[in-house]
Amino acid sequence: MTREYPDTVAGLTGQLRTAGYLADRGLATALLVATRLHRPILLEGEVGVGKTELAKTVAEVFGRDLVRLQCYEGIDTAQALYEWDYARQLLHIRALSAPDAGERAVADLFGPEFLVERPLLTAVRRGAQAVLLIDEIDRADDEFEAFLLELLADFQVTIPEIGTIRAPSPPLVVLTSNRTRELHDALKRRCLYHWLDYPSAEREVEIVLAREPELPEVLARKVVAAVHRLRELDLAKPPGVAETIDWARMLRFLGFDELDADTLGAVVKDRDDLDVVRANLAEITSGG
Amino acid sequence: MAEAFVPLFVGFARALRSAGVATGPGDVLTFCRAAAVLDPADLSDVYWGGRVTLLGRHEDIPRYDEVFRRYFLGDGPPPDDLTLTAEAAADAVLALPETEGDGPEREAEAVLGLTASGVEAVRDKAFGACTPEELAAIRRMIARLRLTPPRRRTRRTRPARNGPIPDLRSTVRGTLRRYGEIDELRRRRRRVKPRPLVLVLDVSGSMADYSRHLLQFAYSARRAAARVEVFCFGTRLTRITDELGERDADFALAKAARTVVDWEGGTRIGDSLAEFVRRWGRRGLCRGAVVVICSDGLDRGDPEVLANALERLARLCHRLVWTNPHRLAGAVGMVVAAPHVDLVVPGHDLRSLEELAALLPRLG
Repeated sequence: MTREYPDTVAGLTGQLRTAGYLADRGLATALLVATRLHRPILLEGEVGVGKTELAKTVAEVFGRDLVRLQCYEGIDTAQALYEWDYARQLLHIRALSAPDAGERAVADLFGPEFLVERPLLTAVRRGAQAVLLIDEIDRADDEFEAFLLELLADFQVTIPEIGTIRAPSPPLVVLTSNRTRELHDALKRRCLYHWLDYPSAEREVEIVLAREPELPEVLARKVVAAVHRLRELDLAKPPGVAETIDWARMLRFLGFDELDADTLGAVVKDRDDLDVVRANLAEITSGG
Repeated sequence: MAEAFVPLFVGFARALRSAGVATGPGDVLTFCRAAAVLDPADLSDVYWGGRVTLLGRHEDIPRYDEVFRRYFLGDGPPPDDLTLTAEAAADAVLALPETEGDGPEREAEAVLGLTASGVEAVRDKAFGACTPEELAAIRRMIARLRLTPPRRRTRRTRPARNGPIPDLRSTVRGTLRRYGEIDELRRRRRRVKPRPLVLVLDVSGSMADYSRHLLQFAYSARRAAARVEVFCFGTRLTRITDELGERDADFALAKAARTVVDWEGGTRIGDSLAEFVRRWGRRGLCRGAVVVICSDGLDRGDPEVLANALERLARLCHRLVWTNPHRLAGAVGMVVAAPHVDLVVPGHDLRSLEELAALLPRLG
């Protein structure tokens, strides 16, 4: 069931909290403005701070369809927007061997039954019913970024054979980037921008408990304290909030009530880092 | 209600702009509309509303905070002071410090037997200002420098007569013209694209005579190829890609020289490279790239830090090239670097750097 987006920051924060997503003031403000002004929102930040999760949560809480487009190098219109069903088109042409089939039959070839919808077209057609998540846009290349401009500015796409398809009402668009490269200014200009930082320790405990309600609070505090110390170390891949939650989940699953060196795999995912962490193990796991 | 605030917000955007944050009239419009949705009288709504609409870069956030505090809360130094400081900084092009006396650098100079007069001449001059001859040399080099970094195949395709990938779209289009008769299978093949080039330049004391060449080379490279990133280091790392992007050579070099704060100081190659890997490499800047380190390898830091940084860097990038202007092998850094570097080439003058440029296409 679709629910309206709230019109205050507090209302929005509260609704997201019901699904276990704790948004800080800045993020909630950005999201509110995005829904009111119908602007795409670009989220940047370290890995695993909840960029993708936000779109999923919004879709869930407000009863929208999550349309997700995972970007990768070389992604193009055929994979992101639409594709013609060539095999069916060919068969159709063969079936129409009668010479008097004429113009209409040919026009049918580019009718809706031969059009294969890809995520962007789906999102445009569903309009406000959709939450469009364009994930890791930094992995796509410049060409694809340029292609997105029309969609982000006017919520419309152009298919040469059919014409311009406009969203009946603008969908909420969330773009995420891990900053593996700088995005184009033209793209940024069309978006609201929010930088997601690691949460404070206090907040991260709340997040862990919201996600894993059955976890003892003492253990949650220990996990968060250890993760915060890990982030201070000079690691190649510092753990994100997602890793904190994974670790807590793992400890609970295994029935531990203390941090355990064997479960480090949930947070430290680089061999060199593991060496560093093992060398400082006592310090990291000390205290809560 | 929000209308009353508009002049205030526009003034804030102007203050941001004069602090160097690029924000356009369209952004200001969005900001005002956002404020109307939020509560324009609530300062934290204004703060966040402005931050999500007026900024587009993480790096601008501290500057935004500062301007916000000054503009709305009246904190910080008055604006006049700020301009003065900025101008003062601009004038201090390069107050070149004496090279630190002890350590391996002095030994290196002894070995090389540098002529004192030449060294002084270079040092007395600001790095930015070029003589007409040098400017001409740079122009010549840009014209001549066929900087073609090695290329790689991308995931994008283009039509090709005999490619490995069938092009269904085009094939179907062709059959339409023949009432469904398939005449030929059209094909595509993958496109190629130049790899990014990353220059990491040592501008420490022991490299004093070469820093100038390196900077000129970097400028030329930046002008000659699209995807070039340039970093400088002595004791700390500075990114000067944007500065070198200026059209005017003199201006670009001056700007770059101003940005780098540790000219001719000591060398901490290991730490600088470690920082490079941590801040830039890990984010993917040198993934698939050709990384060229220009340094003599005279490191004052811990060799192990250097070894670790290089090992990681070698794994991140496509090819690691080290160009060394001093023709002496055996500097600690070079010994440590050897196992991780794909290629070591001389780089003692502009000509040898050009040779390096000529070598690049073969590194694919």
